[in-house]
Amino acid sequence: MHEISLVRNIFRTIEEQFPESAPETITCIYLRAGELSNVQPILMQNAFEAVVQDDPRYKRAKLEVEITPILVYCETCKKTSEVKQYKFVCACGLPTKNVIQGDELLITKVEFLN
Amino acid sequence: MIPLKPKSNRAPVGNIPCDNTTLNLLKANDFVAKAIRDRLPDMLVVNVCSSPGSGKTTLMQETGKRLAGKLNMAVLVGDPETERDAIRMRDVGINALQIVTGGMCHIEAQMILQALDHIDLNHVDLLFIENVGNLVCPAAFDLGEDYRVTVLASTEGDDKPKKYPRMFHTSELLLVSKSDLLPYVPFSVEAVTKDARDVNPDIEVMTISSIKGDGLDAWCDWLLEKVNQKKQSKLTTQKAY
Ligand SMILES: [Zn+2]
Repeated sequence: MHEISLVRNIFRTIEEQFPESAPETITCIYLRAGELSNVQPILMQNAFEAVVQDDPRYKRAKLEVEITPILVYCETCKKTSEVKQYKFVCACGLPTKNVIQGDELLITKVEFLN
Repeated sequence: MIPLKPKSNRAPVGNIPCDNTTLNLLKANDFVAKAIRDRLPDMLVVNVCSSPGSGKTTLMQETGKRLAGKLNMAVLVGDPETERDAIRMRDVGINALQIVTGGMCHIEAQMILQALDHIDLNHVDLLFIENVGNLVCPAAFDLGEDYRVTVLASTEGDDKPKKYPRMFHTSELLLVSKSDLLPYVPFSVEAVTKDARDVNPDIEVMTISSIKGDGLDAWCDWLLEKVNQKKQSKLTTQKAY
């Protein structure tokens, strides 16, 4: 995975969203990554540290990565099931591609210094 | 003098949950991908992904030869460093442009949008994007394509769908390439089809050999059908107005 460019993308996204805030005041960034997004927390942390070395404005910030399971919604039985071992099948046995969670890559929260 | 716009955004203090404006990291890419789709309403765009060495470039060459006279094809070739693959295609008369990604492991939509200004797309019916050889990163980037095709060589092993689920999940077609080598390698088309359909119940599977020519007619028929469908769907939308 392109973790380095992903971390740069996180910084760029935050700077666009909070143009009035100095990156130096950020204490924690919460990332939510679906299991299908190919993001591995340990690799993200390593990339985060590497990018912060080049861009010390973020040296106060921590990164919290939450991995969410893949959920599919079955139109036939109207139920939500969790996808295990990447087998896209409803609990009722019908295959389904209707992903309602698990392919997202989102910043869910940014904490700033008080 | 233009007066400065008063800034209303106060600097945030304390915890700022973005729950109401969740920041999607792929939003910028998805926005550009939509611009590409809007710009190419009647051209079929196919994003071809694979590991390195799956024979994508040879497949493009053979596809170009077979489709010559039937439709006009162009190829955007992604490569981290060199222009070698585009030269190989131009050698056999294919309209090809290299996108050197500067070491990046995938193509982003912005690179495609820029490349559209540097390739002659007059009368082109089918635009291939030969993605960087990598089954992980390119999976996350919508390039404005109509179809995503994953090429998996029989020499690579048949355990790839579960290792790279997002790529197989987001592809409409799996091409098992180098099928001429199937008798000599421990690769089961049946097993790979089953695993690919676990990850993506709708995926189509075809077996091809660019060297022997097996399966290439079916692949080219698939392309011709999709090109026609794309043009017709444009006609339908025009009629609707
Ligand atoms: Zn069901």
